[in-house]
Amino acid sequence: MAEVRLDCYGEACPIPLLKAEKKMKELKTGDVLIVETDHSCAIKNVPEWARKKGYLVDIEETGEGTWDIRIEKTA
Amino acid sequence: MPEEENFVHRLYNSVLKEPWPYWVGAVLLGLLNISLFAFKGNPWGITTTFAYWGAWIFQALGGDVSQWTFFQNAKNAKALTAGWLHDGGTMQDLGIIVGAFLATLLASQFRIKKIKAAKQVVAALVGGILMGYGARIALGCNIGAFFSAVPSMSLHGWIYTIFIFVGAYIGSKILVRYLL
Repeated sequence: MAEVRLDCYGEACPIPLLKAEKKMKELKTGDVLIVETDHSCAIKNVPEWARKKGYLVDIEETGEGTWDIRIEKTA
Repeated sequence: MPEEENFVHRLYNSVLKEPWPYWVGAVLLGLLNISLFAFKGNPWGITTTFAYWGAWIFQALGGDVSQWTFFQNAKNAKALTAGWLHDGGTMQDLGIIVGAFLATLLASQFRIKKIKAAKQVVAALVGGILMGYGARIALGCNIGAFFSAVPSMSLHGWIYTIFIFVGAYIGSKILVRYLL
């Protein structure tokens, strides 16, 4: 159950999504990827991609304009 | 009391904080485009104003654009001499910037983002210059040459639309190679 943080602060769409997709390939089932982003469009398209893949997604607002997107690799 | 608070909180979240559904944005943009056109008599555009801003800045620094072909056009010549306070396009573009700023503040999401790598600066500058240059030789951007041109039944809008997809495709390949 590893937790991997992906720092995407300062990066604009679609970089957070592309980075998350790439990183997710390295993770094992049960691992959690936390995408740290300050880009408001990422909290729309990253969860959308993750849910389509069947992963569990949770979004937490960590500050003004910053979010942690927790994605659990379910399969 | 908690029920009312909860309602206000949920209203604030859905209207001011969370992103609106795509279809809501689409309908609103369509209606506003029609209204703006009806109000000012010509279609919505963004980048002609940028050409004026560039010219005014250049003139403030001592340059002279009055002999340029672009400014032989009557409308552009008039705008150039009238100045930014009399330019409707300037007010609209400033309005967009102020409006976006206000929306971010109301959502408590305002943040000055740090630059992480020199690559980002280079990509932003090159991309921005290409976009500005392209918007001028296309006589419009995705607003003037697409969002206003296609509903105006202008053929150039359709050609623009096809090629913006081509450009975006090539751009995404470069993006993945260079910035990922």
